Amino acid sequence: MTKSIETIWKEGFIKEAHLTAPKVNDLYNRKSQNIVDKLQNMFAINIKAIMVGSLIMLAMMSLIGAPFLGIYLCCLLVPLILIAKKELKKSTDLSKGQSSYDYLMSFDRWLKSSIETYSSYYKIFYPLFFLGMAIQGIVSDAGGEFIAMLLKLLPTDIIILGQPYYIIAVLILLTLIVARYSVALYQLDLNIVYGRQFKKLEELINDMKELRNETQ
Amino acid sequence: MGSDFYQLSILPFAAIIIKICRAYTNSQEDFEDYYQEVCLQIWRSKDNFNQESEWSTWIYRISLNVCLTYLKRQKTGKKGIVSDPLPEEVVDDSKAFASDEINELYSAIKHLSETDRAIILLYLEEKSYEEMADIIGSNTNNIGVRIKRIKDRLKKLINQKD
Repeated sequence: MTKSIETIWKEGFIKEAHLTAPKVNDLYNRKSQNIVDKLQNMFAINIKAIMVGSLIMLAMMSLIGAPFLGIYLCCLLVPLILIAKKELKKSTDLSKGQSSYDYLMSFDRWLKSSIETYSSYYKIFYPLFFLGMAIQGIVSDAGGEFIAMLLKLLPTDIIILGQPYYIIAVLILLTLIVARYSVALYQLDLNIVYGRQFKKLEELINDMKELRNETQ
Repeated sequence: MGSDFYQLSILPFAAIIIKICRAYTNSQEDFEDYYQEVCLQIWRSKDNFNQESEWSTWIYRISLNVCLTYLKRQKTGKKGIVSDPLPEEVVDDSKAFASDEINELYSAIKHLSETDRAIILLYLEEKSYEEMADIIGSNTNNIGVRIKRIKDRLKKLINQKD
């Protein structure tokens, strides 16, 4: 290499024709491929999907004779809507005009805080969701028949809340298992969708931090 | 996007966007996607421009931040946050510019980390250390040290090819 990289750069771009901008078509309606926008869209879609989903669930549960379960599930989903709205609002504070370090750090803070907020709620949501469905199953006609059959096989005098003790024990055990793994379940879901991006983001931030802390 | 805004506020600075997007992409298709995303984000962020810095500095910031957090489309259908270095044989924009030397330089730049690419692009664009530190979010001393290392690495990479 005879020329310096500075000279190559300067001489290479003297003819501005080499820097022809690509055609820009219908940019306003273009879907963004930026991760912040993608996550914002995800939250916005979540809000709509939860709202529609909870109404459908309410209608369906009412139709199959379980209106209380429908109302119960709706009540469980309302906080999710509120969380998604709050997180969406927070994300709008992220200006892409900050320095790269500040931008990546503010994005990372927002991301971690959002994941934490969602995780906290899913810790409660998943077990309560499971419990609601299980109780509905137990009190249903089919559930009653199943328990009657069980009582014939495993007769007991210990009845709690109108149910054989082992049904209650299994219900509590399963609810605890769901509660124990609810955050892991949510994070697994996130990792499947965005794991690779999160890892890259972490690497970028570490590199930026290293650059700030470098000493001569 | 209002075409006036694109014509008046983006197009005169298209060279900046092109130079940055080329460093973060490995194909013409990706390059055009990145270019359009940067334009979109400049338009979306225009109200946040506080005129404390120059408009061109704002464009550098947006371009770099978009390139650093872009969800790249991949042929497998998966998405990546930034351009992953690809093996030389699959890089199909190695003739993006008329000058072979520039193409070689870009090819070497693409072997650098995302942060180092940002630093060297700003350096080659003759940004002062203060401006670079401001755009990237570091301090001037560290930028100076890093530039020296990057230049050495680039020279080695280019000489390896010769």
